[in-house]
Amino acid sequence: MWRGLWTLVTWAAHGPRSPRSCMRQASGAPAPGSGATIFALSSGQGRCGIAVIRTSGPASGHALRSLTAPRDVPPPRSACLRLLSDPRTGEPLDRALVLWFPGPQSFTGEDCAEFHVHGGPAVVSGVLQALGSVPGLRPAEAGEFTRRAFAHGKLSLTEVEGLADLIHAETEAQRRQALRQLDGELGHLCRSWAETLTKALAHVEAYIDFGEDDNLEEGVLERADSEVRELEVALGAHLRDARRGQRLRSGAHVVVAGPPNAGKSSLVNLLSRKPVSIVSPEPGTTRDVLETPVDLAGFPALLSDTAGLREGVGPVEQEGVRRARERLEQADLILAVLDASDLASPSSCNFLDTVVTPAGAQSPNGSSQRLLLVLNKSDLLLPRGPEPSPDVPPHLLLSCLTGEGLDGLLEALRKELAEVCGDPATGPPLLTRARHQHHLQSCLDALGLYKQAKDLALAAEALRVARGHLTRLTGGGGTEEILDLIFRDFCVGK
Amino acid sequence: MFSFRGCGRWVAASLTKQHPPSARLSGENAAPGTPRFDVVVVGGGHAGAEAAAAAARCGSRTLLLTHRADAIGQMSCNPSFGGIGKGHLMREVDALDGLCCRICDQSGVHYKVLNRRKGPAVWGLRAQIDRKLYKQNMQKEILNTPLLTVQEGAVEDLILTEPEPEHTGKCRVRGVVLVDGSTVFAESVILTTGTFLRGMMVIGLEMHPAGRLGDQPSIGLAQTLERLGFVVGRLKTGTPPRIAKESINFSILNKQTPDNPPTPFSFIHETVWIKPEDQLPCYLTHTNPRVDEIVLENLHLNSHVKETTRGPRYCPSIESKVLRFPNRLHQVWLEPEGLDSGLIYPQGLSVTLPAELQEKMITCIRGLEKAKMVQPGYGVQYDYLDPRQITPSLETHLVQRLFFAGQINGTTGYEEAAAQGVIAGINASLRVRRQPPFIISRTEGYIGVLIDDLTTLGTNEPYRMFTSRAEFRLSLRPDNADSRLTFRGYKEAGCVSQQRYERASWMKSSLEEGISVLKSIEFSSSKWKKLIPEASISVSKSLPLRALDVLKYEEVDMEVLAKAIPEPLKKYTECRELAQRLKIEATYESVLFHQQQEIKEVQRDEALQLPEDLDYLTLRDVSLSYEVREKLQFSRPLTIGAASRIPGVTPAALINLLRFVKTTQQKQAAVNELSRTDQCLCDTDKLEERQ
Repeated sequence: MWRGLWTLVTWAAHGPRSPRSCMRQASGAPAPGSGATIFALSSGQGRCGIAVIRTSGPASGHALRSLTAPRDVPPPRSACLRLLSDPRTGEPLDRALVLWFPGPQSFTGEDCAEFHVHGGPAVVSGVLQALGSVPGLRPAEAGEFTRRAFAHGKLSLTEVEGLADLIHAETEAQRRQALRQLDGELGHLCRSWAETLTKALAHVEAYIDFGEDDNLEEGVLERADSEVRELEVALGAHLRDARRGQRLRSGAHVVVAGPPNAGKSSLVNLLSRKPVSIVSPEPGTTRDVLETPVDLAGFPALLSDTAGLREGVGPVEQEGVRRARERLEQADLILAVLDASDLASPSSCNFLDTVVTPAGAQSPNGSSQRLLLVLNKSDLLLPRGPEPSPDVPPHLLLSCLTGEGLDGLLEALRKELAEVCGDPATGPPLLTRARHQHHLQSCLDALGLYKQAKDLALAAEALRVARGHLTRLTGGGGTEEILDLIFRDFCVGK
Repeated sequence: MFSFRGCGRWVAASLTKQHPPSARLSGENAAPGTPRFDVVVVGGGHAGAEAAAAAARCGSRTLLLTHRADAIGQMSCNPSFGGIGKGHLMREVDALDGLCCRICDQSGVHYKVLNRRKGPAVWGLRAQIDRKLYKQNMQKEILNTPLLTVQEGAVEDLILTEPEPEHTGKCRVRGVVLVDGSTVFAESVILTTGTFLRGMMVIGLEMHPAGRLGDQPSIGLAQTLERLGFVVGRLKTGTPPRIAKESINFSILNKQTPDNPPTPFSFIHETVWIKPEDQLPCYLTHTNPRVDEIVLENLHLNSHVKETTRGPRYCPSIESKVLRFPNRLHQVWLEPEGLDSGLIYPQGLSVTLPAELQEKMITCIRGLEKAKMVQPGYGVQYDYLDPRQITPSLETHLVQRLFFAGQINGTTGYEEAAAQGVIAGINASLRVRRQPPFIISRTEGYIGVLIDDLTTLGTNEPYRMFTSRAEFRLSLRPDNADSRLTFRGYKEAGCVSQQRYERASWMKSSLEEGISVLKSIEFSSSKWKKLIPEASISVSKSLPLRALDVLKYEEVDMEVLAKAIPEPLKKYTECRELAQRLKIEATYESVLFHQQQEIKEVQRDEALQLPEDLDYLTLRDVSLSYEVREKLQFSRPLTIGAASRIPGVTPAALINLLRFVKTTQQKQAAVNELSRTDQCLCDTDKLEERQ
């Protein structure tokens, strides 16, 4: 919300200005073309038709070309439709309107580019990550666009009345967001990495500033070396474990599973609002895994319809069952479907024992698989009849035929997927994730330079850069911290 | 020559016709009785000497007031200059034509570049200095500096008048009052009183008021400053005992030999004064558990250690080393005090035990078993003024035209003092000429880092320079201090001699030319491998390599390159310094490219100036928290960049400050428009002055 408001105000401030007055104000300001290029999502978070992503700085043109290759930048200030693709992989991201504002006639007075993309979180996240991979680009800090605009004389004083409050709100929101993120596993990791790196840097700095005159203990550098190597491995592994990051890109994997003829395909068709799967009263109609991208309660998801799980059938169906089981293991969320009127059958009991119960139990490493149990065909139950069975775990009742219970299911899905993907309503996870990824990758890149460094000053510089990226995520990072560590760990000085 | 009555003993007064005094001054000089100067420097230590010389170089008629003229240039603590970080500061002082590098090149007895193997960005030029020679050479230099006069006398008070309306500050300094009641008028005053403000010497449980062994402290001046409203803090430092050289058994100790050939400190020197083989060695010994015992058994006799006053963490006394890092052997370097000095300075043995216990402790150290202590170690406690009360030009916020430099600002070390001295001298002089201040950004030099840290963050322990404090360490190297500062010093301050300016210009253009030639020579990696077989060039790369890339290899220097490709590279090996600097530029080329971007971002914020008269506490229509207001009010940052470095100043507060930058700029633009004609006239005046 805060970001939406923020954008509104900055755009309102920007809107009524005439180009001429912009130019007049810009004269005398520092020339554009210096410093880093920044990017950010400028429109509101969550679901919206169009999302606007903006860049500002000298590499804006380069960024625009990188994402719209092989086309060149469009003519200044006119909207053009372009296919955006990830410069690293060439993977298409979205067909989007792009605009090119060469400085000084732009919002910030610097070269700016705008990408008007389809507002789904997956697309936005993809474009933000693609921008983060372009050399010279980094995510914008709180209020940075405005500061640049201000510095270039693009906002008049009356227009920024109240702006401080907004920036304050933005900073606060970022801080809260960062806190939320840092409460989690990733935050814990980042902090411990930053700690390791700060210590390694402090020891290298001590070796530079005091190594000659003072007797630092043996092996200071070697210890720092091995700590950095371990950190590099850990970071690399984390970044390679792209699953977490991929979920929003291609959507969470939601697998519909159950015994034959429970109504799985009917549910898939209902959720995707189109006839994806052939539906028939005959058990074993679906024999392969059918995938369809859907929007589930505002989240992008990949919905998989699977063959009904049963033993002792023909080879084709058997292969279908094998694939279904494989898909179950990869699922972010399992929609387990049972026939409410057939709970006592062996196939239903078997499914409950082998799939539903194990998923509910915590695995030793603490990660349990998310599962929603849906009892379909509620229309077949006797009105006001007894509950299907007291032994059945928590479940939702649904009738794919009448649509009864669908709202409840969607709400349950929303909750589950929010847990899986992060909740757009509570903050800007896309932006923070792009930031995380950008800084973690940059940190890893810098650690690579540490290894290659030809002298200790260069090695220390690589560690400084790496630490700078981590501490942007965790906070802290001043020189005093380094000095404190040096004087804590070593007895230095004459 | 001028004659003055009743103001102490005149040691030397030298004036030449080289810099004609300004008309205004000669006019005022007509007033009988009271001497008048452009700049008066109080204190003749390392900050004072540099400040006085710099002000004089800038063309100001300058008076150096000191307790004792024969103590000018005295090294009161360690007999060495430079080191890692400190050497960087010295090179920058030299780039501004300061004195300490040149004097060190004339007075050293053991030159050694530290960190040789850790990369040229962190090389630390260092030398053991002959105390007597340094003092002699410094006094010779000071007494022969045109426009600079030296007078003995203790300053007791300041003469203050109404403030100038166009600047902030509650009053303006007009001169000083000496102990004997006489006065000296000045346009600017620089205080470099070191540890003399309410200085207190401590040995064991005894305390004596003194700024240095044998010298009286300044109490009246300290009271004046406090009365004016300056926030005063207290710091402590210490110095080790001195040992008779002939009583030490060096034969069983590790010997450290100096560099051969020695590397001179100054950009304008090719060599140092001493023959390489005549240099003196240093020796290394260690403390042992017996030293720990003596320290721990006698803590009750040691008031300096018990006090809560903050001492340096990095130059700790042996007592604090024993307390903080027990059961370790600590290094003790035995350093010569001079060529014909019979004294040895045991670096690492700073101590405040009672004298007889000091000797007992010394004699249980290896090699010092029969050592004679000539002078005991002692501690000094002294007042310093919170440096957030001064601007980056080192002028105080409270009193116009009053400048502080050196230990009075909470720093420690000769080099830190010298660096501030040069800046204070230049700015005091520019202030007299009503020219804009000369401020070095932290992106431009260690001097900038030092002053920015002090003025925005303050300090609660004696501040010492480390290379870890400089975020742009790879750019701020000892080798390139001249290209960073000499041109600015020449053009903006006028503190740099023609000779140095020309040398720096030649070096700069040669470097630029050399780099572009090295970039233009391109061969395949296999051809390079054939040309320079000793380099570990990987031939798998298909892209052509530039000579500049090949120069990055450890085994390659300009000599090697020129041997492979004599034409056009041979001429770049003729000057050794040029060849070395080309190699250094090549080493850091790619990293510097990225660093440049960050530097620009910092500089962009630093270009946004804040009005100096902003009253943060009463500023209306702005949402600033009271905490932020207080911080800004105290530090009075001059730019958005400096404000952003003050802890607790939020991005929102910065935006508000930006508003003020913009309003002021708009107002300024209008004013400039009006006064353009005046400006033209001023420029003509300046031109004439230069000619």
